[in-house]
Order: sequence, then structure tokens, then C-alpha cells
Amino acid sequence: MSGLIFNGLVNGVIVGALYALLGLSLSLLYGVLRVVNFAHGELVIAGSFVAYLLFHSLGLPPLLALPVAAVGFFLVGWGAYYVLIPRLARSDDPESMSFLLMYGFSIALAAAMLLLFGADSRSIDYSFDPISVPIGPVNVSTARLVALGVTVLITLAMGAFLFRTLPGKALRAAAMNREAIQIVGVNIVRLSALAFALAFGLAGVTGVLIALVFPAFSPFSGGEYSIIGFIVIVLGGLGNPVGALIAGVFFGVAEQMATVFLPQALAQIVGFAILVATVLVRPTGLFGFRALR
Amino acid sequence: MSEALPASASADRAHGERIYRRLAIVLGLLVTGYFVTVPLLGLNLAFHFYMMLWITMATAFNISSGFSGYMPFGYVAFYGVGAFTTAILVKKAGFAVLAALPLAGVAGVLLSLLMAPTLRLSGIYFAIVSLSLAGICRLTIANLPEEITGGSFGIQLGSRAAPVHAFYVMMAVMLLALASVLWLSRSRLGKALRAVRDDAEAADMMGVNVGWVRLQGWMMAAFFPALCGGLEAWYTNVVDTETAFNTLITAKTVIYAVAGGLGTVTGPIVGAIAMSWLDELVWRRFPLINLLILGVAVMMLVLFLPRGIVGTILRARPQWRRFIP
Repeated sequence: MSGLIFNGLVNGVIVGALYALLGLSLSLLYGVLRVVNFAHGELVIAGSFVAYLLFHSLGLPPLLALPVAAVGFFLVGWGAYYVLIPRLARSDDPESMSFLLMYGFSIALAAAMLLLFGADSRSIDYSFDPISVPIGPVNVSTARLVALGVTVLITLAMGAFLFRTLPGKALRAAAMNREAIQIVGVNIVRLSALAFALAFGLAGVTGVLIALVFPAFSPFSGGEYSIIGFIVIVLGGLGNPVGALIAGVFFGVAEQMATVFLPQALAQIVGFAILVATVLVRPTGLFGFRALR
Repeated sequence: MSEALPASASADRAHGERIYRRLAIVLGLLVTGYFVTVPLLGLNLAFHFYMMLWITMATAFNISSGFSGYMPFGYVAFYGVGAFTTAILVKKAGFAVLAALPLAGVAGVLLSLLMAPTLRLSGIYFAIVSLSLAGICRLTIANLPEEITGGSFGIQLGSRAAPVHAFYVMMAVMLLALASVLWLSRSRLGKALRAVRDDAEAADMMGVNVGWVRLQGWMMAAFFPALCGGLEAWYTNVVDTETAFNTLITAKTVIYAVAGGLGTVTGPIVGAIAMSWLDELVWRRFPLINLLILGVAVMMLVLFLPRGIVGTILRARPQWRRFIP
């Protein structure tokens, strides 16, 4: 039993790190733009398919697919911002409308992937050498450990960017007070485009890593990741990237522990239950941070 | 209040009210006349059944989003619970379909009462939580014992199919929904709902019981989709968790309501009819890229027609606002 618990803990941290990445991207976007990206899961799966294509047609290993996905998605996101978001500001209720817009985007993206790749589940049959590494009493697959390492690196890089560089500080400032930052001379349009592009880039990277960690993906598995991302950002406090990181790992561990202790069916409900309970009891998230408006 | 107005203004208002009533009656007759003739002329029964279903769903969704200002992205929960209530009552408890349907509506209302605490949330929080609650409903029903919900095979209603009967009952439900919204748009409750939506604190100061008003709107919005779910179960003769809790049902409801324009009575009708035809034409010609077109259509709607068809017309002609139901 203790082996199972330890196993759950290790896997929970690995899966949780990915969930943190999902949350980081979503909370960046919500913080700066007040856009909840319903299509995040589909973008992530699109990232997985990029890794799949690069590996199966060019023989490029997933680790090399990471920069390709990051740069590609970043550029797509930059363009998508100017197509999608400025028009949104004209509607009566931009926040709900943005949710609806990204809802449409998620349907379209899933359908496009369905047309391109078919409905079958795919997986990348790439394996590291050795296949698994013993950690204490359990064997953990190398791919998962590599994914964890990459996630930690990306998180550190994002942290350095958000807290040490000027554009990063501007992004955090915009999340706190969108009006004030314009007074001090920040070009909010370019900054928003940057946030959008970063969120897309992170989604692409997350997709490649998810292809390493989870056994399979299909065009319609995106919805699950969107929901997990929502749970994470609500737990961490909407628009709070640091909260999202902690909440992601917390949720990953909770989910893996639930599969150890609870029957399969109930374990699926745990995530939803955590979300609903959090929102009803503590709407500002577990880490009680409220953006100034 | 009208006594306090100058004579001409009150006459003007009465005049507007008369036009409004007449337009509402014409609208009702048009809709009734059109759908009554479908089975008589042997037109496409299924297509029109679903058109009425979507009109009802979009109209009820409008009560929540247009009048009350809540966007329930887990709207399918009510639909699915209604479908399963009907199927279980008919198949396992031996109810007649027509006796089971009202109980499905009651089940929807009970579910809305369970979800009532979420009404203190707003905007995006409400949308996300509503989505999760629909997920919980689906998982809960999917994991109930197989003797009750039929497991992954679902429940077959057996030899109770009566498409024409189901069609007319659907029509009655649609007319009931339309009448409710027509009444609501001019009633004290409807005005209170709008006031609470626009500024809950101000409405509270004016003596509106904010919580109770919201709850009433929420229960109305939950009743009709549960009936729709039950009716669809009757019509297709089968219920399973995958189709009864399909998120596309929420998607279509939201899209159709927004396409027509939230906050008006005619909006969801116009939206549901227009989009049903679009869906039908697209699906017939390009069955493969149907979903892609649906997604792109949603994006286009939000970007270029955020107020919907009727909403855009009313914005261009604000003076029509008091006539158009």
C-alpha cells in the first residue's frame, strides 16, 4: 500500500507539473486580457500532434519538437490576437463573449484536427534509454522524468521572465490593474498580444510534454485538459500565475491519490468536486489574492 | 404610474403596448400555424421536431442569460437529467410517457434548486462552475447501477414510439415556453430580473428580493430543457449518457440563442430557425466539415454579430424596441 501511495505521489507531482503549466498559460491570459481560453485543451492537443508529425514524418525526437512547437504556436498566437480580440471589445459583455468565442474556436480546432488526423487515439512510440528509472520503491518512466525536468525549466524561465524582465513585470502589472499601466505609458495592445502569444506558445509546449507523459491523445481529448486547466486556475485564484503553479501540483497529487484510494468512477468526480467546493467556499482561490480593478 | 404621465405620453404608451400585443399574437399564430401543418403535409418531421426543440431550449436559455445575466455553460445538465428521469420512470417504474414528462420537468427544477448556491457567483466563475456541475451530473448518472440507468448501453423505451404525438407535445411545450417568456418580458418578475441583472445592489435598494427573483428565473430556465430532454428521449426511443449529456447540446443552445439575440422574445426563435436551416443545409452538403463550420460560425457570430440578428436590428432602430416582443 505504501508503495502505491509513493507511486501516486511521484506521478502526482509529474502530472501536477503539467497541470501547473496548463494553469500558468490560462492564468496569464485571464490576468492580462480577462479572456478564459476555452480552446486551451485543443491547442495543447494540437501541440501533441505537432510532436507526432515531426517524429513520424521527419524522425525528430519530441525534445527537439519542443522549440518548434513553442515558436510556431507563439507566432500563431501573436497573429490570432489581432484577428480575434480587438473586435471583442465592442460587444456589450466582453468577458462572456470571449468565453463563447473561444468555445467556437475549440469546436473548430477539434473538428480541424479530426479532419486532418482522424478520430483514432495516437501515441508517439519514442522511448528513452533506459525506459524507466527506479526511484525508491517504484520505477518511473524516463519520459515522465524528462517531461518533469522540462516543465521545471520552463517554469523557472517563465518565473525569471515575469519577475526579472520589464515586459514580464508589465504583464504582471497589467493583470493587477489594466488601466493604471496605460497611464505609465505601456502599449497595452502590444502587451496583450504578447500575453496571447505566450499563452499559445505555452500550450504548444504543454502539448509536446503531454504526448510524452500520457499514453495517448485524440482530437477530442482536448476538453479534459481545458477543464483541468479551469480547475487549476480557479484553485490558484484567477489571473495569479504563482497560485496556478501551486494549485496545479496540488491538483495533480490529489487526482493521483484519488485513483489510489477511490474507485475509478469516483476519482473522476474528485476534480469537479474540488472546483465547485473551492468556488463556493473561497471564490478568490486557495491563495486569496484579489486583483485590483 | 401611467396616471402620472401626461395624456399624450400615456396614450402613446398604450398604443405601443397594443402593437406589442398584436405582434405577439401574430408571432404565436405564425409559429403555431407553421408547425401544425408539418405532419399534415408530410414534411420532414424530424427536422421540424428538432427545430422546435431548439427554439424551446434557446428560449429557456434566454431566461437565464438574457433576462438574468447568467451564462450556464453546463445547460445540458437539465436536459440530460430530464431525459433520464423520463426514461427511468417509463421503463423501470411503468409510467405513461405523458405522466413522466411533467415529472422530468420537476426533476429539472429540483436540480436547479440544488445548483442554486452557484447563483451568487457571476460571469466567468458561474460559467466554469456550471460546466463542472454538468460534468458531475454526467459522471454520477453514468456510475449509477446498471439496473437503473442501463449503464453504457443506455435505456431503450421500447414500443412507446409515437413520433407524431411527440411532435405535437413538443409543440405544446414550445408554445408554453414562448408564452412564459412573453409574459415574463412584460411582468413584474421580468422587470425585476432585468434590474437585478443590470445592478443587483440598486435593485436591492429599491426593494427587490434579489435572491428570490434570481431563483425564480433560474427555475424557469431549468424546467424547459428538462422537458426537452424527456421529449427527445421519447422521440428517439433511447437515452444514454454520451448523447444526453453531450456538450454540443449546450453549444447549440447557446449559439442559437446568441445568433438571434439575447434578451428579446423573438431573438431565440429567429436564431433557432435560421441556424437550424443553416445546420441542415451545411450538414446535407458537407457532412464531414459540419462541426468545423459550426465552430467557425460561432466565432463569426461573436466577432461580427455579438448582439444577434434581432439585437442588431433593434440597435439600428431603437424606436422598435417597445413593439418587438
